[in-house]
Amino acid sequence: MDGFVEQPAPREEWGSLAPSIHLPLLPCLLHHPVTRGPKETEFQKTKEACLNYIQDALLQNQWQRAAEFMISYLEILETSTVSKRKTAPESNIEELNYFTERMKNLGVKYYLKVCLEHIFYLLCNGLIDEAYQNLTLAESWRYGEQTAAQNDELKLIQAYKGLLDYYNWSKKREAMLELDEENFTDSSEQEMHNFFRQAAVNLKEIIKIPGVWDPFVVSYVDLLEFYGDFDEAREVLTEYAYNSKFPPNPNAHAYLYHFLKRRGESKKSLVSVLKILHKTVPSHELMLEFYTMLKKSKKDKKRRLGLEVIFEVLDFAGWKENVKAWSCLAEQIKQILDNSNKHLDWVKEEWNSRKDWWPAFHFSHYLAKRNWQENEKLAYEKALLAGILLGKDCKYYKYVLHQGCKAKKKRFQTLKKFVKKHNSAYLRITACSDSSTHL
Amino acid sequence: MQFPAPLFPGPHRAGPPSREPPCPALLGWGGRGPVLGAGAEPRQGFVPLRSEKGENWEPADAVAVPLLPPNAGFRVLAVTPHDILYPGRVRRKLQAGRTEAALDFTRQLAHFFLDHPEDAFGAMGQLLQENFHLGEARLRGKACENVVPLSALLRELSHMDARRGCRQLWVSSRLRGFCHLSQAWLWELPLGMLGERLHEELALQWDQLLFDDAPTGGALAWLPTGGIGASRGCLLHPAGPAMDQLCFQDVVLAPGEDGALRPCAQGSPAQFKLSGRVRQVSATQVDGAAFVGVRSDYHCGAWRLQPGAVPTPLQVVRTTSPASCLTVSPHLPGELSLCTHSGAVYLWSVETGLQRLCQEPETMFFRDASPWRWSEFTAHPRVLSYADRTGVQCLDVRAPTQARRDLFKVGAEAGCQRGERVVLPLYLGQAHPAQHLIATQFSVYVVDERFPLVPALRWEHMMTVPPIFAHMMPGSPRGRSHKVLLGAQRTQELMLLQCTGGSTSACQLVGAPRRLHTIADGLQYLPAMTPHQLDWLHQRLGMPAAGVTATLGRCGPLESMLVFQLSEAGDLFYQTLLHSQPADSSPERGHADEPSTSPSLQTPAQAVQHLPGPGTSCGSGTEGEEEDRMETYLSGLEVLVNEDSEDEDSGSAGQPTDPGAQGQGRTSPNQTPAPSPAIAAQYRRWLATLSHAWKHLAEPAKPRVPLTLSQRRLFTRRELGQVPGDRVLHQQARRQLRRAMRERGLVVGCALGSEPSPLPLPCPVEPQAWPDDLSERLTASWVGGWSNWWEEQQGRSQARQARVRALREQRRRRKRARGLCSLSGSFSSSLTCQSDLSDFSDVSAWSVGSRAPTPVPASPQHSLAPSLSGQDAPAEPWPGSPLACSTQLSQEPGGSQDPGTPSQLLSSQMLRLRGVPRERRKTLRDYLSIFTESPVEPPPEVPSSQASRLGGDHRVPLSQSQASSLGGERHVPLSQSQASSLGGERHVPLSQSQASSLGGGQHVPLSQSQASTGSQAKRKRARMGF
Repeated sequence: MDGFVEQPAPREEWGSLAPSIHLPLLPCLLHHPVTRGPKETEFQKTKEACLNYIQDALLQNQWQRAAEFMISYLEILETSTVSKRKTAPESNIEELNYFTERMKNLGVKYYLKVCLEHIFYLLCNGLIDEAYQNLTLAESWRYGEQTAAQNDELKLIQAYKGLLDYYNWSKKREAMLELDEENFTDSSEQEMHNFFRQAAVNLKEIIKIPGVWDPFVVSYVDLLEFYGDFDEAREVLTEYAYNSKFPPNPNAHAYLYHFLKRRGESKKSLVSVLKILHKTVPSHELMLEFYTMLKKSKKDKKRRLGLEVIFEVLDFAGWKENVKAWSCLAEQIKQILDNSNKHLDWVKEEWNSRKDWWPAFHFSHYLAKRNWQENEKLAYEKALLAGILLGKDCKYYKYVLHQGCKAKKKRFQTLKKFVKKHNSAYLRITACSDSSTHL
Repeated sequence: MQFPAPLFPGPHRAGPPSREPPCPALLGWGGRGPVLGAGAEPRQGFVPLRSEKGENWEPADAVAVPLLPPNAGFRVLAVTPHDILYPGRVRRKLQAGRTEAALDFTRQLAHFFLDHPEDAFGAMGQLLQENFHLGEARLRGKACENVVPLSALLRELSHMDARRGCRQLWVSSRLRGFCHLSQAWLWELPLGMLGERLHEELALQWDQLLFDDAPTGGALAWLPTGGIGASRGCLLHPAGPAMDQLCFQDVVLAPGEDGALRPCAQGSPAQFKLSGRVRQVSATQVDGAAFVGVRSDYHCGAWRLQPGAVPTPLQVVRTTSPASCLTVSPHLPGELSLCTHSGAVYLWSVETGLQRLCQEPETMFFRDASPWRWSEFTAHPRVLSYADRTGVQCLDVRAPTQARRDLFKVGAEAGCQRGERVVLPLYLGQAHPAQHLIATQFSVYVVDERFPLVPALRWEHMMTVPPIFAHMMPGSPRGRSHKVLLGAQRTQELMLLQCTGGSTSACQLVGAPRRLHTIADGLQYLPAMTPHQLDWLHQRLGMPAAGVTATLGRCGPLESMLVFQLSEAGDLFYQTLLHSQPADSSPERGHADEPSTSPSLQTPAQAVQHLPGPGTSCGSGTEGEEEDRMETYLSGLEVLVNEDSEDEDSGSAGQPTDPGAQGQGRTSPNQTPAPSPAIAAQYRRWLATLSHAWKHLAEPAKPRVPLTLSQRRLFTRRELGQVPGDRVLHQQARRQLRRAMRERGLVVGCALGSEPSPLPLPCPVEPQAWPDDLSERLTASWVGGWSNWWEEQQGRSQARQARVRALREQRRRRKRARGLCSLSGSFSSSLTCQSDLSDFSDVSAWSVGSRAPTPVPASPQHSLAPSLSGQDAPAEPWPGSPLACSTQLSQEPGGSQDPGTPSQLLSSQMLRLRGVPRERRKTLRDYLSIFTESPVEPPPEVPSSQASRLGGDHRVPLSQSQASSLGGERHVPLSQSQASSLGGERHVPLSQSQASSLGGGQHVPLSQSQASTGSQAKRKRARMGF
């Protein structure tokens, strides 16, 4: 296989005439002038040609043709670590099992990889029991010293086994919940416990390694919660979310938050979890919940943070048309205005960094038309904010108000009144911000 | 904005890239990746990261079709390796992955000296003028004192000039002496410095040839006028001789007969002349208007395009260092981001002007020499992504100096390979606001901004050249997949991927990747053309791609995807793909290729049935209209022969003459159906326009053609002037040739010869006549039973084979003992033994045949025997066939019956008797056969007419004149002595008819005598062996 793709070489080894970027294959046109240098053997050439044909057929989605090439190729070579079988959509299970058995025996290096692929195939086709058998087999496979990659694969195999054990366990649990306590025999309980033990051991193992283990963590925590081991569950989730060796997975924070919420933990701890999440992913969907929590707080600092959170959420393109977020912001600002403009400087500060781009981003004439057509509620909330933040001359506000009044909707009349009433607030926001920019 | 709840599991590593390169044959195939429970319960099933279930898009046509007439004025041709390398000096170390190229800067220097002699030698020339005598006249007296006569030197130089490019260059001692003497002082410019600079420049050129990042992003954009999925739009592309005109071409998508949408250009485009070659065009629709950013090397411009209005230029900026990126904000109107080679990123607002965000000449994560930078927008309108070759970071416009967030890093986190580099980032905002596509030379990654560093998806794209163009078409919200199109520059490769997910479910790659047609794929369907036209079209169609874009459309139930491709020559091509439902295999689409939708529907035999020959439907109507290149060369009577074969290994680099060879021979003409007549007509029109435009090009602007070599120097005057035997025929042939040259037509073989004889078919191969291992194998594979043959050969094990053999032998003996009495028992048994023992069992029949002549199926051979072999050829087997030779030889007295000949030693029986093991016998035979053949036999009797016409006559064979009339290849006729010396070698004997019918090509015309000697020697050995 060595001739097919060039092995990458570290940059410093490259000659001065090497390309500035390492190319996977030299472009075909540059193959032409080769006359000297190490000649490819006939075998290599044949092999390359074969593989090219297979590749070509596959890329043109001609499965049948590719399979034929593949078969003849295997006949010739008898040594190949190709496992292209999965791309053939209509391959049947027996053939595939035969093929994988053959593949597994081709090389020690790829044994686990092929096993995993086979298991994934079985799982995707709903053959859970067969997959479980294969997992058990692969788990016990040992051959000499393992490379790092093989180690990972083995761990993954164990983890998937644990996951299947967990699924079995949860099936039993369901059965138990359906039946009454009395009818649930000791033996089934014992069986369930066995599943739990097997699953827990394997799942616990994989969670220790840094990585993204969402399905495994969720299953493990579910097991622990069922058996009342909340401390362990909390530890696992905290570790998963806050260990710096783990990647910054937003789901880890979400899982921890949901767990704490289920446990009925104090608001403070919930807020602290979400605060950390807010710093890493300010556009996370939990931010609305975070805002709701902060809004209710009595402390000014937290309410200030709440305003920041909701403003920041609306910065992102993905939230642009989220009615809920807009109504939250509108509500918050209304509250501030009603509250005798006590915290108007908060709004002013937030607005200050956005005033140069929010009008074009959110409150353009085009958007007013589109929002009005698509979502009246959204248009209403946005018009309210536009009226307050940008004044009653804002195009968005004017358009929506005009349309609303034309349609004789009552709340648009109140909206008009409200904006008129708080025109001074608009003036204050702009005036203050103007002065601040002059500073 | 939801974040997908369970992500696909995988380990996380930190540090430098460490992943082993994937199994090379596997690449992006296979590998479902980890699976994920679709729900909390197993019964809800598992989904893989890379699923094969996806939408199926089938090309509606066999080729990419030209959309607009060819970019007529284009005249800048791409640099080829041939221009800058020593011929034959690219080495590829298979193991180390290094390429070594030897730059031919000496040739460039030579060009410089020849083209600009005044600059190179001006001063010295003037100084020496008095002391050099250039005239022919002899110098006498005092004049001799300080003057050197140079006429002889000049003469030799002119000879040298004629032989330029010849490898067997002999330099006279006089020239050598002069070089030696003048080397140190003759040059105006210091030679060392000049060479160094030139080498530097060539290295740069070579680098660009391997990978050019200037056109990253692509100079082609599609703007739907009327929302996404509308049936009309505006195509933005550069045109003009230097690709410096920006065109806004209105295009309507109209359904064809088969329901597939096809674009049709409407009206003339709005054009803007720019002051540089357009490298990149990026366009986005914001707030109902479209904003267009155009990047050339030192200028960037912004346009606004409102529906129904003429595009308005907004602003132009000039940069001091070349710009490498220009993207238009999808969030705010009139906002663009701009990067330059100095490492600076600017936010360019049409209203407020440029704002420099940062400038970093160094790369982000580790050192990389490339000055390439890229910048895209992100989900947050005030945050830009900033990429170099080592990774991607997020940059806050409001606080650019503050710490940035890493989005992607070439390292173990993303599972990168060693040597991997970022080639193109693309913001997938339309598909999912937080997703980015990052392409490297090996893989593509989908990265979610909310979970940086760990890609949601990685896939090996298997493209031979890094993809520097990408286009994304968002799928509809109803679970349709997003389609991503990746395009490569030099090979024009196009790859279509599909992915889903990102908000409610984890990101997944769905469906199998699909390679689309390239522009150069059309070459295989071109009508017959003269080699020069073909060569030139190869150059034109094989130009690197300059941009890719696509759009989706719908006509009734049929969904179409239109993919537009722009070449560096400015030619625009498109292809339509149809979304085929997996359930119905769409029988309504007649000509569309369906070999793949489901393998069960079509057996391979059926698939082979609709294979057309290349160019079947395109016809050859253009031939007459096309301008012939001959004009420039065929001046006067001098016949010029092309030098092509001189540099056969580099001359036509990039334009392989075999159409199938394009793209590493991966394209298989076998499986693609021919283009439909409508498309063929479209193609033909395009070709006609192109050739018309080409005709009107100024002479120096015409594309380069290979150097030509005068035939005058190949033959002496006497040789050319020699009166041939058949004077009338000769005269006639000359006249024909001249007329053909005048009319720029082709000389057909029969027009020259006296008798218009039909070209004979090559003699059919008689499988039995080729008893050796290889031939048997070839025969078996020809008839289709190759695997059986192989199994037979291979057997399971030696022991089993032996047992089977013994049993079979026993049975045969018994049978023969019962039934056969005409042949002596000992003979037959030995015969069967022989046939069982040797691999060449059929030969035994031949040794029998030597006694009792085998009934040779003579009639078909005779009918096929070449008429060229003459009317005087008797009714005897075709002489080139070994079959014939054996019969000829067997009639000779003596033959193999002679016990004294050493060939007796070679018989299997003899060898067996001497205890030589079976597997050694072949070697021994081969070895011994050398001795049996060593005395070179005189060429056997050849009919005199043939010999005199083909071999003996002074080698201006028919085929040569054909070749020279074509101006194609140079032709080296072998003289008789060469041919006969070749005769002893082991080679497949070329029959005469083959030789002469192929003679127009690059074939060495083997004379009859040679062919028969070769075959005779071989035949003899074979017969002696068994």
